[in-house]
Amino acid sequence: MTRQYEVVYIFDSALEETAINERLARFHALIQQDGIEPPQVSQWGKRTLAYPIKKHDTGYYVVAKFEADATALPEFERAIKLDEGILRFLVVVNEGAQPVPVTAGKSDVEDDE
Amino acid sequence: MRRPQKTCAICESGVRVVDYKDERTLSRFLTERGKILPSRLSGTCARHQRQLSTAIKRARQLALLPYIKGFVG
Repeated sequence: MTRQYEVVYIFDSALEETAINERLARFHALIQQDGIEPPQVSQWGKRTLAYPIKKHDTGYYVVAKFEADATALPEFERAIKLDEGILRFLVVVNEGAQPVPVTAGKSDVEDDE
Repeated sequence: MRRPQKTCAICESGVRVVDYKDERTLSRFLTERGKILPSRLSGTCARHQRQLSTAIKRARQLALLPYIKGFVG
């Protein structure tokens, strides 16, 4: 049985774009199966981290949504963990209602009555 | 006298699920030191407060939000 997942990678920002794409292709090959759509990758690019990770102040963020079999995940996560070029990553189940960015303007609206 | 009920800012915006990647919005529910604001103060409903707390904790892991704001190690 497959499930929907979402993964966020934080790459070392010193890596070249080609090196990042090569790594992404390698990781995504591990979860690829027949009859399943390839992952939707969105690159956020270089961002400042809220706190230093492994003595780095910036990271290259990549978000990917994918469908995979749960049995493929341990292998996938192990490969990421072993990669020195990745500062941190997070894999979460991405099912149910899809999140929409909250755009609430004012928190204290004056329509109490 | 009871104070009038605050309304949930997330319900009002029509959002069902809070996104942990949207750190701009999440930061509205933090104190100036980066702690999670209690629903008592922010007025969020129980469902959205639960979603917010997991979303904020995920965002912290990803260094989108600080664990402590203004902390110089």
